[in-house]
Amino acid sequence: MSAIIRTTGLTKTYGDQKAVDRLDLTVGQGQIYGFLGRNGAGKTTTIRMLLGLIKPTEGQIELFGENLFKHKRNLLRRIGSIVEHSGFYENLTGAENLLINARLMGVHKKTAIRDALEIVSLHQEPKKLVGQYSMGMKQRLGIARAVLHHPELLILDEPTNGLDPIGIKEIRRLIKSLAEERKMTILISSHILPEIEQLADQIGIVHQGRLLEEVSFEELRKRNRKHLEFQVSDDNKAAMLLEKELDIHDYEVRGEGKIRVYSHIGRQAALNRLFVENGIDVSRLTISEDRLEDYFIKLIGGGTIG
Amino acid sequence: MVNLLYTELLKLKRAKMFLVSVIGAAAAPVLMFIGFLNMKSEKPDTSVTYEISFYNTNMYVLLLSGTLLYGVITAYLFNREYVEDTLKNLLTIPVSRTSLLFSKLLMLLIWIVALTLISWGFTFIFGLIGGFDGLTIDVILYSLGRYLIGAVLLFLLSTPSIFVTFWFKNYVPTIIFTAIATMTNVALVDKKYSALFPWSAVHVVANKAYVPEYPVLYSVLAILAASIAGLAATIIYFNKSDIQ
Repeated sequence: MSAIIRTTGLTKTYGDQKAVDRLDLTVGQGQIYGFLGRNGAGKTTTIRMLLGLIKPTEGQIELFGENLFKHKRNLLRRIGSIVEHSGFYENLTGAENLLINARLMGVHKKTAIRDALEIVSLHQEPKKLVGQYSMGMKQRLGIARAVLHHPELLILDEPTNGLDPIGIKEIRRLIKSLAEERKMTILISSHILPEIEQLADQIGIVHQGRLLEEVSFEELRKRNRKHLEFQVSDDNKAAMLLEKELDIHDYEVRGEGKIRVYSHIGRQAALNRLFVENGIDVSRLTISEDRLEDYFIKLIGGGTIG
Repeated sequence: MVNLLYTELLKLKRAKMFLVSVIGAAAAPVLMFIGFLNMKSEKPDTSVTYEISFYNTNMYVLLLSGTLLYGVITAYLFNREYVEDTLKNLLTIPVSRTSLLFSKLLMLLIWIVALTLISWGFTFIFGLIGGFDGLTIDVILYSLGRYLIGAVLLFLLSTPSIFVTFWFKNYVPTIIFTAIATMTNVALVDKKYSALFPWSAVHVVANKAYVPEYPVLYSVLAILAASIAGLAATIIYFNKSDIQ
């Protein structure tokens, strides 16, 4: 999978304070990448650097394999974005606001604006001024603007900020459909874990400007599923016993004598007995009850995500 | 540039600021007409010519109302992208910051010229109402030329205001800046240094209100120096600044 976004040693300092610290981010083609971190972790600064709004103090940004600052104009044509709250001219209608982008982006298709408004269900009130829009409508209009020119990459900075639960659900549905129908690569930042969990297939966790972990959600869920972990003298034999004697297939041999069993939680005594009776030494047994949220809290060193 | 200018015009659709600026542009002719009515009530036999009326109104526009009003318009045009949080959208479109800046400058020039013509138009209409003397094609063309020269020179002096707007990202410092320029204009009226202070030099050049101590070239150079310095500072600052 080729990288659509790749940052190397990306750093931004303000005086003595490092807002972003040697960030190495990789977003693959077609991925929905969740950029997760607490408020003030450095997400927005990173996104602003990716869009060329802020100049990095150090480091490189490559988009579509090209240096952002050498090919900025061409690269920006391939990107749609929302940076924090969507800003609009409140004296204009939604369509008129989109017309500004269409003219400047060189979008000539006559139905482009209506199509974009239809995607976000804002086409039914063409005469309504943006000043009369609710927060949710503005965010939806922001998405319409971001996809107006059919970008290959969508960068969304906290697109559900300030929305009510219905608005959040609506935006989530939109993002999912864009990824599926238009095959866009999407980078979405948030400080809300459940929101990212429902959308992303890869996440990067940022804290105090540093990328702590970049991992697929599949791997993360596996890592954090409730499980029994045995430290045994012979993991291959233990695996064979699980399958043959107890018909357990939901397990993982993790090397160095570690074997994880994702089913039969609560029957650890029976499993232990099975190993011991078959000549396998069990030197440790742990029961993981981590939820993803606990994992993140541990990772960022306490406190809460939000 | 055509697309950028089109979008700048579109942004003003339904904007109350345009109507407010028209009212501002009418202020000088209205005040001049009130002054005329007052004079007529005291000295009914005094006649007023179009030539004097156009000159006086233009002087008030260039030294007082125009400096302040165009400063407010400048602040509005350039600061609204920060206030409405739209600058980040414009700069994530493949448009260079310098092009964006020049499209706004062009919009400002159109706006200032439009307001100047409105001021001229009001002066003309009030002259008809008041029965002013000496309305000839020569007077019309000459006054229009003087008004437009004044408008262009005041436009050139918008660049320091733009820099102040970008630097502070707020309307208030720009308004204070133009208010200081206006007060200095008032302080320098009929003084030789009016030819050297860029904002009062506009009146010196546009209305041919030359002072014997300094050639008109000094006034032109003062205006150009302030304009170029303001433009250079604006371009450098705007291109280098991070958009937060």
